Amino acid sequence: MAENKWGMIVDIDKCIGCQACVVACQSENNIPINEEGHFNQRRAIEWIRIERYWEGEFPNVRARFVPVFCQQCDDAPCEPVCPVYATYHNSEGLNVQVYNRCIGTRFCANNCPYQARFFNFWEPEWPESLKNQLNPDVTVRSRGIMEKCTFCIQRIRRSTREAAKDGQEVEDGDRGMSPACVNACPTHALTFGNLDDSDSAISKQSKEELKQPAGSRPGGRGYHMLEHLGTHPNVVYLKKVDKTAEEHEVHG
Amino acid sequence: MAITRRQFMTYVGGSAAGAVVFQACGVPADELLVQAPVEMPEDLVTGLDNWYATLCRQCSTSEGIVVRVMEGRAKKVEGNIDYPINQGSHSARCEAGLQALYHPDRIRGPMVRVGERGSGQFREISWEDALGRLTEQLQNIQNDGNQSSVVMATDPVGGHLGGVVERFVSKYGGRHMGYEPMERTTVRRAIKHVFGQDTMPDFDIENSNVVLSFGADFLNTWGSPVRHARGYGEFRQGDRERGDFIHVDSRFSMTAANADKWVFVNPGTEGLLALSIAQVIIDEGLGDAAAAQALTNNGRFNLGAFAPDNVAGATGVSAERIHEVAVQFASHGPSVAIGGGSAGAHTNGFANLVAIYSLNQLVGSVNKPGGVILNPTSPFKDVPVTAGVDSFADWHRLAEEMRNGGVQVLMVRDADLFHGLPQATGFKGASFNVPLIVSFSGFIDDTTAMSDLVLPQHNSLEDWGSDIPDAGPGYQTVGFQQPVVRPFFEHRGEHLGTRNFGDTLMAVALGLEMDLELPGDTFQDVLKDGARQLFEENRGSVKAVTFEGFWNGLLQRGGWWDDSKKETHVFAASPLVEVPQASFSNRDFYLMPFATTGIGDGRGAALPWMQATPDPITSATWQTWVEINMHTAEELGISEGDVVRITSDAGSIEALAYPHPGVSPNVVAVPVGQGHIAGGRYAKDRGSNVYSILDASSDSTTGALAWAATKVDIVKTGEWKRVPKLENTVTEPPRDDERLIIEITPLDS
Amino acid sequence: MQEHVQLSQKKINDDLLAGVLGMPKWWLGAVGFLLLVIATGIGAYGYEINKGLGVTGLNRPVLWGFYITNFVFWIGISHAGIMISAILRLTQAEWRRPVTRVAEVMTIFSLMAALSNIMFHVGRPWRLFWVYPYDFSRGLFMNIRSPFVWDPSAVMTYLIGSTLFVYVALIPDIAVVRDRATGKFAPKIYGMLCLGWRGTPRQWKLQAIAGILLSALVLPVFVSVHSIVSWDFAVAIGVEGWHSTIFAPYFIIGAIHSGVSAVAMIMALAMWMWKLDNYLRPDHFDAIGRLLIVVATTWFFFFFVEWIFALYTLESPELALRELQVFQAPYMWLFLAFLLTSFFIPVPMWLFKSVRRSPGLMFLSTILVNIGMWLERFLIIIPGLARRQPLQFDWGSYHPSIVEILVVAETFAFVALGMLLFSKFFPIIPIFDMKEGMQVREEIKIGRRIVPASIRETP
Ligand SMILES: Nc1nc2c(c(=O)[nH]1)N[C@H]1C(S)=C(S)[C@@H](COP(=O)(O)OP(=O)(O)OC[C@H]3O[C@@H](n4cnc5c(=O)[nH]c(N)nc54)[C@H](O)[C@@H]3O)O[C@H]1N2
Ligand SMILES: Nc1nc2c(c(=O)[nH]1)N[C@H]1C(S)=C(S)[C@@H](COP(=O)(O)OP(=O)(O)OC[C@H]3O[C@@H](n4cnc5c(=O)[nH]c(N)nc54)[C@H](O)[C@@H]3O)O[C@H]1N2
Ligand code: SF4
Ligand code: SF4
Ligand code: SF4
Ligand code: SF4
Ligand code: SF4
Repeated sequence: MAENKWGMIVDIDKCIGCQACVVACQSENNIPINEEGHFNQRRAIEWIRIERYWEGEFPNVRARFVPVFCQQCDDAPCEPVCPVYATYHNSEGLNVQVYNRCIGTRFCANNCPYQARFFNFWEPEWPESLKNQLNPDVTVRSRGIMEKCTFCIQRIRRSTREAAKDGQEVEDGDRGMSPACVNACPTHALTFGNLDDSDSAISKQSKEELKQPAGSRPGGRGYHMLEHLGTHPNVVYLKKVDKTAEEHEVHG
Repeated sequence: MAITRRQFMTYVGGSAAGAVVFQACGVPADELLVQAPVEMPEDLVTGLDNWYATLCRQCSTSEGIVVRVMEGRAKKVEGNIDYPINQGSHSARCEAGLQALYHPDRIRGPMVRVGERGSGQFREISWEDALGRLTEQLQNIQNDGNQSSVVMATDPVGGHLGGVVERFVSKYGGRHMGYEPMERTTVRRAIKHVFGQDTMPDFDIENSNVVLSFGADFLNTWGSPVRHARGYGEFRQGDRERGDFIHVDSRFSMTAANADKWVFVNPGTEGLLALSIAQVIIDEGLGDAAAAQALTNNGRFNLGAFAPDNVAGATGVSAERIHEVAVQFASHGPSVAIGGGSAGAHTNGFANLVAIYSLNQLVGSVNKPGGVILNPTSPFKDVPVTAGVDSFADWHRLAEEMRNGGVQVLMVRDADLFHGLPQATGFKGASFNVPLIVSFSGFIDDTTAMSDLVLPQHNSLEDWGSDIPDAGPGYQTVGFQQPVVRPFFEHRGEHLGTRNFGDTLMAVALGLEMDLELPGDTFQDVLKDGARQLFEENRGSVKAVTFEGFWNGLLQRGGWWDDSKKETHVFAASPLVEVPQASFSNRDFYLMPFATTGIGDGRGAALPWMQATPDPITSATWQTWVEINMHTAEELGISEGDVVRITSDAGSIEALAYPHPGVSPNVVAVPVGQGHIAGGRYAKDRGSNVYSILDASSDSTTGALAWAATKVDIVKTGEWKRVPKLENTVTEPPRDDERLIIEITPLDS
Repeated sequence: MQEHVQLSQKKINDDLLAGVLGMPKWWLGAVGFLLLVIATGIGAYGYEINKGLGVTGLNRPVLWGFYITNFVFWIGISHAGIMISAILRLTQAEWRRPVTRVAEVMTIFSLMAALSNIMFHVGRPWRLFWVYPYDFSRGLFMNIRSPFVWDPSAVMTYLIGSTLFVYVALIPDIAVVRDRATGKFAPKIYGMLCLGWRGTPRQWKLQAIAGILLSALVLPVFVSVHSIVSWDFAVAIGVEGWHSTIFAPYFIIGAIHSGVSAVAMIMALAMWMWKLDNYLRPDHFDAIGRLLIVVATTWFFFFFVEWIFALYTLESPELALRELQVFQAPYMWLFLAFLLTSFFIPVPMWLFKSVRRSPGLMFLSTILVNIGMWLERFLIIIPGLARRQPLQFDWGSYHPSIVEILVVAETFAFVALGMLLFSKFFPIIPIFDMKEGMQVREEIKIGRRIVPASIRETP
């Protein structure tokens, strides 16, 4: 079986900040209910979250939204600092989190420049009946450990296994394989797929969009968030288009 | 290593002691086991799952969803790819249908009130008993010939269930009223005026070049946000040139945040602005000449009075800006104008919306790609597309009638009147003159808490149903809702648990020996009969040789649609109407109530995921906050988290201040939907109910609640409470000045 | 340079064993009080285990707080022991004699305190042993790239090394106690602990060699431990203000600063508590004071250079951090307090001989240093996490909870209790070392002044 390298494209020009991805992820991944107190204590867990940045003030005000989640960095700063290998890189380019191994040092979270890691300060609790909804494919994390976006690895596993059963390889854009957030996003701001499959929509698009400007060609809209840190994320963001804005110098 | 029996016992004792210590500390027993190989995530053991198509009932759009079911439990909701409205996508609200299904405070069976009315004390009774009580009462009223004193209040219930309700009420001789907290009566009437249609049209944002919207938070909560958002994605980065989006609104909403231009307009002057735009378009000959003639009634309606210079003062939008917007709208078509939300919720809302929607006529975008697409009529003979909604004026009258003892039985289903109707109507007080309030809701909302008898219906995921989307996708579409799991309280036996609302009404009718003349004895029969009509049409997305095959296909795909069946008839434009001045009381700030991403107009308040969904603009959750201009707040000495008292002519509430740079200095905005007196553990006594302090003013034409027509004063109470929000509370609003996070380009690649 | 009181061997024995063989009145009270603080701390920690780390003030993104601060602090304190004993022993500084054991014992207890902080800090302390290579057969191994693997190993090595170090030096003194102890068990226990010490020349020789060897061996560990601790921060590329190459030497010198100060503090305490005026003389304080001037100034140089390094780039995230540290409340006040207490008050004080020779003032000034150095760690760790980050939605703040405060207080009580118990059961001034000092002392004439000879030891 060919190796896969999973990646995501986030088109900020499409993202409207609607939070559908956020709730979809909560539902799919058994994320504990963020109670009021959790927000007040700044311990709410949202593997994918929408950050809103202000520009200007009334009346010439803008707010821009950006979905932030684990960038599945190829050179993930969170990995080398974990003393117990609870977070490591797998063969498919994913930064995986092994809950059972984690001892809760929170070193990885300090070292993640994207603030993508969430610590379970409390034991997750659900009223008995709400537990019926929990996804059996996803471990419920106990308190004292770290968690973060997994690119819905359970879905990747399920579809690769089912495809393998039929003697096939997983197909890119296969809905069953798409992460919950991607399926939810009403504007199709999120695209998931195999970056190593040269035929896949995502690999084509990311190649196209990551092109640097040359001559009269404007170049693509692609960039990596906090690129200067050299984390080599597997998430490509596509720039927001704003005709009134000046082209921003690529920062170093 | 040899271990003696004795040593072994010692070790066991030792580890047992360890276990006891850990247990005492609250460490879960499984924590004591050394677990798991390193490759954990790959080792996941999975079972079999099934995905069932059905309809989402978390908001009135009723989109197509598929639900993942494992071992008889619903696990995940996703959009139904086939379903024309949402085409696989969904909103934050839909996911939470699962939490409604498994809510710990669901009503588990029929109940009768035992304490004072409103005390929330109920006793469980059997279905036979409950039905008997209701039937007896209705029988008595019937014997007195006083049937019109029986009122059935529901949410705008459409599809076949709506048919059953109508049939029941009309056969009995009572009245049926439809209730929406942020009602769309006005927008429907304006649509009717402008397009000559009862049904809501579809907006072809996807193919549009310019979207000009007024007041409607259409990407977030207004109309079918998922459908709009799907179109928006294409509109921004589809195969065509990137579209331009101008949003005119008095509040900086999520939709405003996504616009290329947000134009702040003084509340109640949206119509003026639209007329001014029309004036520029006609004046400069940019629009359709015939439409211009029709709209101005051959020049009799003098638009000159609305030239940009004349309205700039009143609207707060500069003449240049108006001109710019008008030219952009008219000359880069196809373009579409959308109006609703606060623009239609003033005392002059109808006139505002007529002016706004007429812009579509003016630029000739009706029933054209990238414009307003009209929807066809229902494929059923007996089920209309549009569900009845009564206006605020009607509810106000009902309150009056109740006060005078004119209402003997008030039956409610999913209409939270006690929460949504402003205090000024005196509804709550009047309700004590109603001898019997019956609720069919499956959940303790504020109204059910005030009822005497509860005959709970199933959760939508356990239930049958159908829906004709309004607005539809531009062609005939019917959604079918099937139970994806067995009723959660089924194990309690047939005398307890929940039932289908239609079945309940049919049982009552049976008790009253009233023939509803429905095709069958159960609601499912009614539904099947509807399906049979479609089967016999032999067209559209599902075709089959046998009805059984058709029925299965219908349920598998979640509905039926025929994309060749469109509305072709386009009405000529009808004349514009005068925009009267909006009336407000004399206070400091315009109050802009708004529905939130999570709990919407309040219907999601019981669900923890919805409470915890951050508002896109403020990232606030779980509370009622008040958005106020950063500098105004500073002047008033108000900072984030200060508890602020908001006072209108009708009353006052408290909310947590959230100053930000996007609010106009003369506006405060407060989310609706909190402040429930019941609603289960997650909603009860949380935040404040901004509906309650709305002035009882209504649209002068349609009588709809003018929920954006209230002005308020605000004062600091001196208390402070942290605003529960995702964003941290820091000294300044986050700005990505160096664009390290969000990069921006002027170029469209 | 030594001013001293010539004392008889008997007097030395009597004085230095007074604490061990007698029972001062305040002793039980002090022990009781410390036990109470410890019990409260343990209770608070039990509560933390029971409820989860939610009971702390930690949050996103400030995921490290009081416990890590306190960990680094105690590691710092521990450095005094080896610094004083090993370096001074190797360089044969005469004034070290009465001071060494205090310093070494403090090392041991502060290391234990430091290790316990790791336990308080992690989410699942019951699995802390996973940072050691314990289970090859299951394919589980620690990630040797992580400083958190080296930390515990280095600290454990240091703990074992310094315990041996103390023990070897303690053996002859235990023998003295053995010979004087009365009662049923005490002589037996001391007898066992002194490993049959009879004071034969061969035993003396072995003991001396072991002492010198251990000094030499422990020194590199001393350097490595705090370097490794500094890497806990220095490798964190994600955290502005932590990711600095100067951290290893900066942390070491900082550790020596706080450690030596702590020694001076404890010396003063020991002097008052066990009435050791004859042994801990003003000139000891004088010597330590001079050492402190050098150490503090060197430390300050590193501190200064670290800031220069940071500001030189003029990168906005770094500037945001520094601004937070220096100009924004509450860090601003802490920063001011830190500067004053760790350098600007004590160092000028030490410049005066009268201050250096006054145990009281030395006690005060060194307490200040330790407050300052605790704040220094706090100011490195917390603003680094709470600073305005690129993702500004998540920059944060931190307020320690009562649980954290109680647990941190517990570590102080633990070290104090350890020292108190130790000095109750073993002589806190090395008896044999003192005697040796008396023996080999000789006065020599340099010019017109008569000064004590600097002594070369004859192993
Ligand atoms: N249909 C069917 N049912 C059966 C059987 C059968 O043959 N067929 N066999 C029966 C028998 S004999 C048995 S023993 C049971 C087994 O039934 P279960 O005990 O349910 O066993 P699994 O499903 O293998 O594993 C349970 C979960 O543990 C997780 N897990 C794996 N390692 C660890 C770890 O280190 N820590 C924690 N906390 N979780 C871990 C897995 O991911 C999985 O989600 O099934 C019984 N039921
Ligand atoms: N890959 C993998 N391996 C596993 C596990 C896993 O989850 N995955 N689970 C492990 C666990 S928890 C268990 S309990 C073991 C179970 O391992 P086994 O005990 O090997 O279980 P089975 O394969 O279910 O049954 C063994 C045989 O018993 C026969 N049998 C059935 N009824 C009877 C009877 O009445 N009499 C006799 N004589 N034979 C009978 C069956 O036909 C079958 O051939 O597997 C272990 N190994
Ligand atoms: S985004 Fe953060 S958590 Fe994810 S791989 Fe990168 S550093 Fe690790
Ligand atoms: S918190 Fe867990 S995953 Fe993160 S570094 Fe510590 S042990 Fe590793
Ligand atoms: S990929 Fe999956 S885990 Fe990651 S944010 Fe999306 S839904 Fe959550
Ligand atoms: S669902 Fe899509 S559009 Fe909505 S917030 Fe998430 S990424 Fe943005
Ligand atoms: S928008 Fe409303 S109807 Fe549509 S899927 Fe979401 S909650 Fe359901």
